[in-house]
Amino acid sequence: MAENSLPQIKKKRKIRVNLATLILIPMSLVALLPFIWMILGSFKTGAEIRQIPPTFFPQTFTLDNYRKVLTDPQLPLGLFYRNSAIIAVANVIQVLFTSSLLGYIFAKFEFKFKKVIFWFILATMMIPSQLTMIPGYLILAKLGLINNLLGLIVPAAVDAFGIFLFRQFAQSVPNELLDAARVDGAGEFKIYFKIVLPQLGPALATLGMLTFMFNWNAYLWPLIVLTEQKVRTLPIILTWFSSRMVSNDHYTMAASVLVILPVLIVYLFVQKWIVEGITLSGLKG
Amino acid sequence: MAHQITSDKPNKLRSAFNLFRFREKKRRDKREKQFVGAIITPLILYMAFWTLLPLIFGIALAFFEYSARRAGGPILGFGGDNPFVGLQHFKNMLDFSPNAPLEVRQFHSGFKITILFALLVVPLNLLITLPLAFMIESVHKKLKGIFRTIFFLPVLAPSVGVAIMWGFIYHPQRGLLNAIIGLFAGKLIGINWTGNPNLVVAGIPVALFAVIIAYIWQDLGYNLVIFIAALQAIPQSLKDAAKIDGASDWKTFLHVIIPLMMPTILLTVVLTTISAFQVFDIIQVMTDGGPADQTKVLLLSIYDYAFRYQRMGWAAAISFVLFLLIFSVSLIQTKLLRSEWEY
Repeated sequence: MAENSLPQIKKKRKIRVNLATLILIPMSLVALLPFIWMILGSFKTGAEIRQIPPTFFPQTFTLDNYRKVLTDPQLPLGLFYRNSAIIAVANVIQVLFTSSLLGYIFAKFEFKFKKVIFWFILATMMIPSQLTMIPGYLILAKLGLINNLLGLIVPAAVDAFGIFLFRQFAQSVPNELLDAARVDGAGEFKIYFKIVLPQLGPALATLGMLTFMFNWNAYLWPLIVLTEQKVRTLPIILTWFSSRMVSNDHYTMAASVLVILPVLIVYLFVQKWIVEGITLSGLKG
Repeated sequence: MAHQITSDKPNKLRSAFNLFRFREKKRRDKREKQFVGAIITPLILYMAFWTLLPLIFGIALAFFEYSARRAGGPILGFGGDNPFVGLQHFKNMLDFSPNAPLEVRQFHSGFKITILFALLVVPLNLLITLPLAFMIESVHKKLKGIFRTIFFLPVLAPSVGVAIMWGFIYHPQRGLLNAIIGLFAGKLIGINWTGNPNLVVAGIPVALFAVIIAYIWQDLGYNLVIFIAALQAIPQSLKDAAKIDGASDWKTFLHVIIPLMMPTILLTVVLTTISAFQVFDIIQVMTDGGPADQTKVLLLSIYDYAFRYQRMGWAAAISFVLFLLIFSVSLIQTKLLRSEWEY
């Protein structure tokens, strides 16, 4: 074995590449099956859906399920898309603002109790959400924010992970740049907006995507805070709709496609940032 | 200083300028301090309001019999008809007799199921993601991105959608899984994967396996991208050296790659364990804890007791136990992070 010559090694690697590909192709098809099964089912007729055993490809291709779901007066999807979007976008904006500002301050300024405050921020990351879930609900109730979209925005304005992430990124902003701006008489807020923020593009994109995804997909906390139908978000509506449509899987499948796929397609174009964010949080804890 | 200023013109200018710079710097320092104070103080207080207050409130709840529907005492509803019960909830948790109240037996089984869930999820996850990451790293560049996207896609889907999709797979009559098994068996199969409490394999309910598979399907993308990044960070020279020494791919994977990735693997084990302890969405939507409470993890009990049965004190006590469980794993995490690893 030790006398393996270089060309042989090359050849061997090529074979391995092919073998891995051969294993990965059926594996990825299996991984996609739940999506495929749902999409195919959304085009089947009610009669075909109830057929036993089920068919894989739709025998008669129909768009009626989508028509039914989109015109169901009890399922104003537009409203629920709006609710989800308001919560997700508002959270992205406020979290990016507070995280970048605080991250920049922790990276570039010296002040009293800096270490203690930073330690406190890190420590809040250790508090699991289910411990603060019940009291959080009670506090929101006292503030009159139950069944209010603000209930999902107000408590989340400052994000410990975001501060941590931005501190890391802001450290690489050159001090000379900041000092030059100060000598030129720029105010601190102007420096943050005009000089620091443009340098933090990748961090803004990464944290922005993660925050959007987290809020868009959230279930438990919205389930607790939003108990009235008209303020609910897409994930809660989807479970409500599916539990109402027990023997009408074709409608649930069409509704699920309408809820899951549009955002998934958008994610395909921005997944680089999400993967980056997850890798960062995973490698750095 | 003053003498120098009067005696030497250029020096005088420089000193004047320095004085100006000094004043300017002092002014700027003051401005910086104001800026920092104006941002840090309100934001940190705000953060403390939404983390420390609920934390203290939550721990206090565990010592009361509390319902949001009762008025209770003047301070946050504590006292009055929300009475202080001391350690009663925690004492009840230690009642292991067979005629313990239902809530206590539910807590015991929930505790067991939560641990069992994590114990099954973590190794299964790693057994899939580690070889998968290695395989994806080894294929042609153009395919790499496609494969990674496919396996990562479920991470991006809402877990509620994942639960509904898998419900269509597991459906006893109309499900894909039974259809596929039926195709091989040559007859109709009607296994109720998520709803039959009598289906038990090796002492583990089949329904629990069913939700675990859906959970792992959604969750594996996280560890996958972390492992791919870690693999890319391993210097090519090390892999080549193993190859030149005649090590097979399998041996390189086992004796070179895995040891080099050990810090990352340990970290993902901790992170995966912590998130497995907090499972809720998929189980609530797929089985709601059933059949016969076989998939009722602690967080499901917490939700039920707090928001369905209005027994927030008991729910807060369970939350505290879950917190301790997660906290002990987090402590291991910080220990791991502290140790230095170098290639």
